[in-house]
Amino acid sequence: MTLSTIPPRLPPEVSRTGISSGLRGMAAESPVSLILWFALALGAAWILPDLISWTLLDATWVAEDRSGCDPSGACWAFIVNRLPQFGFGFFPPQERWRAAVALIWPVAALAIALGPAFRGRSGLVAGALAAYPVGATLVLWGEPLGLRGVGTAQWGGMTMTVYVGTVAFVLAFPVGLVLALGRRSSLPALRVLSTVFIEVWRGLPLIAVLFISVVMVPFLLPPGTELPRLALALVGITLYTSSYLAEVFRGGLQSLGKGQAEAAAALGFTYWTAQGYILIPQAIRAVIPGILNTVVALFKDTTYVLVVGLFDFLNIVNAAVADPHWLGLATEGYIFVGIVYWCFCFLLSRVSARIEWDMARGAAREART
Amino acid sequence: MTAAAINVVGLSKWFGDFLALDDIALTVPRGCSTVLCGPSGSGKSTLLRCLNGLESWEEGEVVMSGRPVGHRPRDLVALRRRVGMVFQDFNLFPHLDALSNVALPPRVNLGITRAEAEAEAEMLLAQVGLADFARKYPAQLSGGQKQRVAIARALAMQPEVLLFDEPTSALDPESIGEVLDVMISLAEAGTTMVVVTHEMGFARRVCHEVVFMCAGRVAECCPPERFFTEPETERARAFLAQVQY
Repeated sequence: MTLSTIPPRLPPEVSRTGISSGLRGMAAESPVSLILWFALALGAAWILPDLISWTLLDATWVAEDRSGCDPSGACWAFIVNRLPQFGFGFFPPQERWRAAVALIWPVAALAIALGPAFRGRSGLVAGALAAYPVGATLVLWGEPLGLRGVGTAQWGGMTMTVYVGTVAFVLAFPVGLVLALGRRSSLPALRVLSTVFIEVWRGLPLIAVLFISVVMVPFLLPPGTELPRLALALVGITLYTSSYLAEVFRGGLQSLGKGQAEAAAALGFTYWTAQGYILIPQAIRAVIPGILNTVVALFKDTTYVLVVGLFDFLNIVNAAVADPHWLGLATEGYIFVGIVYWCFCFLLSRVSARIEWDMARGAAREART
Repeated sequence: MTAAAINVVGLSKWFGDFLALDDIALTVPRGCSTVLCGPSGSGKSTLLRCLNGLESWEEGEVVMSGRPVGHRPRDLVALRRRVGMVFQDFNLFPHLDALSNVALPPRVNLGITRAEAEAEAEMLLAQVGLADFARKYPAQLSGGQKQRVAIARALAMQPEVLLFDEPTSALDPESIGEVLDVMISLAEAGTTMVVVTHEMGFARRVCHEVVFMCAGRVAECCPPERFFTEPETERARAFLAQVQY
């Protein structure tokens, strides 16, 4: 074989200046970055030894109460001791598996979204989330399934945080879409109605929304009907979140050129089929970061259910800190809360990045021939 | 009765106080291709967009296959399922690959099965010379390829009439040729077409009638042989001098 032996022309070597080039490359690049690196190292050397010895080396992991903890280190025994309560609230111990199901369900859905791709993955994740409000409520409540009934007063902890956050998001998603479409409608009445709705809920502080829904909504219900406070709070958070999502979706719909709607119309799509098959799928893709941003904010805001007497994760830790047997352990408690919240929010931001990455790759996918 | 595919009677349209279309009369016989041409701002695109109801009009009537077109949303949807359109800037659906771009509209709007729609779509993509590009996304296609997918997509709805709104104006010269080839073969196969274009070569070679528009009116309407050799109006002569040579 005497094929051409001319080597392909390669791009010239370029000195790279990204993070990957490491410390030396950056120092060589500018004296400012050298100083910054030095300051960073100095700060770490100053903080890290104390931090490590407090959090790990001198820490106590197992103890009966405060007096069993080494005062020079962190008393993680407090967290370990209360972990079931932080996770599942006041759920009866023998029924905790049900709280665990409600807690792990959305986390598992997100994990699948982050895991390796397979056929029907997005459908599975979307289905799992869509089924959550009804599914998780049944599992937690239990009575309709023939399990022991557990009232909402006993729900709490991380389960409550995840339950409220997920249910509110899943319910707010379609409501937000309808509001976004309403605000862009050509019918003036619908447009005004959607705009007023969005501006009212978005303009109120969440705490006020929760008070309104728990105190005022019962007046609107027929006398005699009693809804648990959790349900009322969920209505409030859902409406509040839907008004934020509506504006995110509206941004996505506005980013689509007029040509897409015209092309759909010219092909005989009706308003709703054009929205469903052509416009909304593109709009959602365009605003994935905005949606996830709203979800992260929602997840953290769920803690305001405190004001209507519900014990979500932060509030249950807050209550435990006041326990006479474990007095003075607020630092450990809040560090733990911070770490857990951060992990959840980081998981969400990874999912967002993954969806964007998948879509970019999907758009550039090579032909399957 | 061999009614005309499209009959426009006394159609007038205003944009605010501006009279965009002034008492238009137009007949497009079945199986014929008609070219709409004229200087920019003469109303040719607006007229074309009235034919599938993308623009509304204030006076007059559009009669499709003997039935007047109504203004209600339901009438317009029914109309558009019988009239295809190809746009200047393609307007492919970027979230769908070429095959789905072609297969989705008949699946949703004509109620045929996915398998049928995709078989039909593959056939249409082959017809426009893009059999190997079925799984490519619009972002991976050249302008000419996009426009050919757009033509296949319009054909998938099995329209009685196909409208083209400056289909080659956004293309490079090489792509213009490949799109015109597809249009020429459609015209020769007896597709009823209305084409807004500045491609006078296409008009001269394949169309049955040239409609020359000027200031919102039909200034001239005659077979291409006559339009290109002995135009009646001064305005048409000036226009031809500009666009040819």
